[in-house]
Amino acid sequence: MIKVLSLCKSYGKNEILKGITTTVSKGEVVVVIGPSGSGKSTFLRCLNRLEEPTKGQILLENVAITDKGANLDLLRQRMGMVFQHFHLFPHMNVMDNITLAPVKLKKYKKDEAQSIAMELLRAVGLEDKHDQFPSQLSGGQKQRIAIARALAMKPDVMLFDEPTSSLDPEMVGEVLDVMKKLAQDGMTMVIVTHEMGFAREVGDKLLFMDGGHIVEEGAPKTVFQNPAHPRTQDFLSKVL
Amino acid sequence: MMDLDFAFLDKYWLTFLKGAWHTLELSFFGVLLGTVLGVVFALMRISRLWPLKFAASVYIEIIRGTPMLVQVFIIHYGLTSFGINLTAFMSGVIALTINSAAYMAEVFRAGIEAIDKGQMEAARSLGMTRGMALRHIVLPQAFRNMLPAIGNEFIIIIKDSSLISVVGISELMYTARTVQGSTYLPMEPLLAAAALYFVMTFTLSRLMLWLEGRLRHS
Repeated sequence: MIKVLSLCKSYGKNEILKGITTTVSKGEVVVVIGPSGSGKSTFLRCLNRLEEPTKGQILLENVAITDKGANLDLLRQRMGMVFQHFHLFPHMNVMDNITLAPVKLKKYKKDEAQSIAMELLRAVGLEDKHDQFPSQLSGGQKQRIAIARALAMKPDVMLFDEPTSSLDPEMVGEVLDVMKKLAQDGMTMVIVTHEMGFAREVGDKLLFMDGGHIVEEGAPKTVFQNPAHPRTQDFLSKVL
Repeated sequence: MMDLDFAFLDKYWLTFLKGAWHTLELSFFGVLLGTVLGVVFALMRISRLWPLKFAASVYIEIIRGTPMLVQVFIIHYGLTSFGINLTAFMSGVIALTINSAAYMAEVFRAGIEAIDKGQMEAARSLGMTRGMALRHIVLPQAFRNMLPAIGNEFIIIIKDSSLISVVGISELMYTARTVQGSTYLPMEPLLAAAALYFVMTFTLSRLMLWLEGRLRHS
């Protein structure tokens, strides 16, 4: 579904990504782990070009996202994104947060979009919050709404940028549960995370990044049990 | 010992009210057009197209960097040498508008730039264009934060409209000067004018506070 070919990204002289090549298949859950500063968030943000890649190519079902003439807005509609800090729209209630993009971009009728939103809210267990404002919600609730908002566009892929890193520990579980359910339903997902247990349990493929490279790539269970590369061994010995 | 005599108001109160009305008219157009143009210049300044950015910056620097009194004279008297004869009212509205637009543009730009970048990113990640994201996500939030600064600017416009008296519009300041002349009172007409300016600006600042409060709750 997604092909990444020798992706590079630098800020001035500072090289963040030094040639990333990988693929994400349909229905696959790819988890990306690695120390901070390894470039994993930058990698994820390049996938929908929130960061502009310096070199390399990204294909979404054979359409080059990295092309100059690519219709980015249309491509982004197919790639939902969930951020570490949620970024809900604070001036709108939950319902409007979820329905704004489908109504404006997919030309859904308002009531149509709202019934889709209610369905999604049920799926994330927050149907009673539809008329609340983001400031009235806990972090875990905000993140679940953010997931619902991204899903409302019916994307083909979901990108998660450290979705639980700014949550209080007791709220991490509720967000991971929603993500797990999504994975079970067959959603294609790329997840940057520090939740090793989750990566191991839900991931189909694991990428270990360090210093702008994918150092190791494989089935999560294999990598966790028998990390091949010394840097993976070192990292895992610290976090597990 | 100073003895203030406001007996002249018996005869001139209506003149003052008319003056205040003209001040309000001038300010109204200055605020309205200045706000609209201010948004346009602010969007130009944050544009990624450098000619737009450059044009807006030049405009803002020139208008902010020259006295409004000079601008008023240029617009009303100077332009006649190019065959452009504007009514005093037109000149006044133009001078107020170009000024408030310049200041307002900076207020809007600062307001837009103060909104967390993540808001724009979240909107773009859903597939919204930059324009849509600005309109539906960034500007409504920026506007709320900018209200105090906007209110400030409105008040400045009301006060600055007194400068327009130099081209002979019978707004409040001009009225005060006329009444001074015909009553030989140096102080009282000015105090009357000052009081009316204050009533206008104070009402406005209360109104803005009320609006801020209302927006905060929604």
